[in-house]
Parts: sequence; structure tokens; C-alpha cells
Amino acid sequence: MATDDDDILSGPVPAPDAEPTAAERAHAKTFAELVDKTLSGRTPPAMSADDRALLEVATVIRAASGGLALPAARQGALIEDVLRQAVGVGAPRGAGASHASGITPIGRGRARRWAPWAIAAASTLVAAAAIAMLWLRPPPKAAAPVAAEVVPARWTSRPTDPLIGPIPREHAGEAGARIDYIFADRLDGFRERRWSPGAPGSRGGKP
Amino acid sequence: MASEPAGDQQRIELEAEQRQVEEAQRGNLDAMRPILERYAQPLYGTVILPRLGNTASAEEVLRDTLATAVEKIGRFTWQGKSIYPWLRQIAINKVYDVHRQSKRSRRLADAMVHELPVESDPDSHADAQLIADQERRAHRERIAETMGLLQERYRTAIELRLVQELPREECARRLGVTIGTFDVLLFRAVRAFRKHFGDRTAAGESTGDHTSEERPS
Repeated sequence: MATDDDDILSGPVPAPDAEPTAAERAHAKTFAELVDKTLSGRTPPAMSADDRALLEVATVIRAASGGLALPAARQGALIEDVLRQAVGVGAPRGAGASHASGITPIGRGRARRWAPWAIAAASTLVAAAAIAMLWLRPPPKAAAPVAAEVVPARWTSRPTDPLIGPIPREHAGEAGARIDYIFADRLDGFRERRWSPGAPGSRGGKP
Repeated sequence: MASEPAGDQQRIELEAEQRQVEEAQRGNLDAMRPILERYAQPLYGTVILPRLGNTASAEEVLRDTLATAVEKIGRFTWQGKSIYPWLRQIAINKVYDVHRQSKRSRRLADAMVHELPVESDPDSHADAQLIADQERRAHRERIAETMGLLQERYRTAIELRLVQELPREECARRLGVTIGTFDVLLFRAVRAFRKHFGDRTAAGESTGDHTSEERPS
């Protein structure tokens, strides 16, 4: 089955006096407006592929008839651009320019073009190397288990029940004496820990 | 004789061009400026645009052509003739690079290439102006031949609108039709032109050989 594209570009062309369809009229009007704009130097950048193909034919016909020349300003800018790219920005113009000092070798322009790519490639390599190092590095050695410090029970926090025991009813009001007793017991532990040589937190001497 | 001063002038220009080329080959690329200014227009108007049909693309190809010429000037060997054929060959190769990317427009390029005059061969000793004139004439003949295959009203529509560049209203008035009808006529005329242009190319493809062109790069 023929597509619209085939119809327009390679399908049979009707005779000049054949009645056009509504679609053909619409397409012809669009093309006529494109030709209008092109003749006035305002060729729209966007158009269908079919219209572009036909417009190219129209331009070929116009070019062959000598109606198309590159405007002098465009030509000048284009040549300037080419030379600037070739000899480097800031190179002096004109025949009187110093050739030895002003002209940059064309290789420098090329190097300038390649510089961003070189930087990107180097960055990629560094990133890849970092990832490879992370991936290939030996697994960390398991830390040696630290032996639990042996601490005497009397240095630790502990219930006072074994020290006080059951409180008879008749001694219930002697709480101060019990507190003193507990305090004295805990102070012993503190002193022992504090002053025993080698004990954690010890100052290593006698009081 | 009138041709002697013209011949002297041509010889002087050729010597100047040789000096500019040698200067550029010694590393002063700015010496290419007069050469580029002299040949940009003939390259655009007779080599590139007629083969592309697209002004924006043609400018890009011209820029690429001149940039390649400046870049590769060290490889150019002066043989006592203008540098123009060398530039022209670069331009043609660039045009083909563009057309290779677009199957549809390739036939259009081939249509022109098959008609290249023998004198425009890079090995010939014709001068730049002569080559450009011959090429322009060849394009016109080719267009005229294709126009001759069209129906009278189609030919007139193209002549009025695209060659004489008359406004649509004036074209319609001269043909005695409405603007809408003229739009349809021009649309069909360009389609018919393209078809004939392509058909002649297809026939020429069996004998033509554009791939034998030497690439200067």
C-alpha cells in the first residue's frame, strides 16, 4: 500500500487541469507559503520531510538560474570563523601581521577541541580506578575478640540484700544505720579499686 | 590584442595565489584569507548549493570545505594552476557526506554530479573562473532539459515563481487562475520536476561514476 510520502514524492503527478482534492489544495497552500518565506530569506527551520524535499528542488532551480548568492556579510563572517578556528583566537589579521609571533599552529586549535574530551576521559579513568580499588581491596581483618575484663563483684553495682538481710520489725526505724553500713561497704570497694595497683582506674599507690 | 592583457592579469593572479599558498604552507594560515574570499562564492553558488538545495546546509558545507582546505593546505601540491579545482573537489566530497546521510536527497546530488563537465576535473588546467562558468552553464542546461520534459503550464509556473521570483498574485494573474489554483499548479510542477530529475538520474546511474572522484583528504 502506498503511503502519503510515496504519493507526494514518487507517485504520479496529476495533469495541470485535474481537479485537486481538498488535501492537495491544503498541501499546495502550505508549500506555497514555504516558498514565499524562502524567497524572502526566511526559510523556516521546521517542516515536513516532503516539503523539505520539494523545497530543495525549488532551491536547486533557483540556484541554477543564478538567483542565490551568499550575502557578503555572511561570507565574511564564515571566513573569519574558519580562520579564527584554524589559527587560534586573537591571532592578528591582515597581511601586515607578525607571522612568527601571531599565528598559532593549527594543532593547538585541535587540542582545544579535544581538551574537554581528554578531561572527561581522565576523570572517568580516575573514577574507575577508585571503584576497582574498592572492589579489589582485601577484606578487613576481623578484630581480635577483647577478653572481658574480670571485675570483682565487690567493685560493681549490686543489691544490698545480702549485706543487710531481712529487716526485723523492731529495727525498722534504724534506716540511717543501715545506710551507713552500706556506705562503708561500698567505700571499701571504692578504695580497693582506686588504690590497688593494676586495677582499672587505679592510681597505683597507697592513699 | 584584448586577450593579452587578460592573460597577463590571469598570470599575475595565479602567481599571487601561488605565493599565498606557499606562505600558508610555511605556517602562516592567515595567508589563506584572500584565497578563501576569492573562491567562497563560486564554491557556494556553483558547487554546493545546486547539489544540496538547502541554503543552511550549503553554508555549513562551505564552512567545512574552507576549514578542511586550511587544515590540509600542507598536502596541496602546486602544479602551476589555480587551487580552485582542489577546493571544488573537497566541496563535492563534503556534499556527498551530507547526502549519504539522507537516502532521499541522494538522487538530487547524483543528478548534478553526473553532469559534471570534463573541464572541471581536478587534473585539468582550466582556471577557476572558467571552471565555475562551465559548471554554472552545465547546471542551467540540466535544469532546462528537465524543464523541457514538463507540461507547458508546469514549466510556466516554475519559470514565473522560482526563476523570475514574481509574487504569487502576479503569477496567478499571468496564468489567468486564482491564487489557490496557482498554488496547486506550482506544487504539482515542482513534484513533476523532481520526478523527472530523479528519473534521468536513475538512468544515468548505470553509466555515471562519481565514486571515482579523487578525495583530496
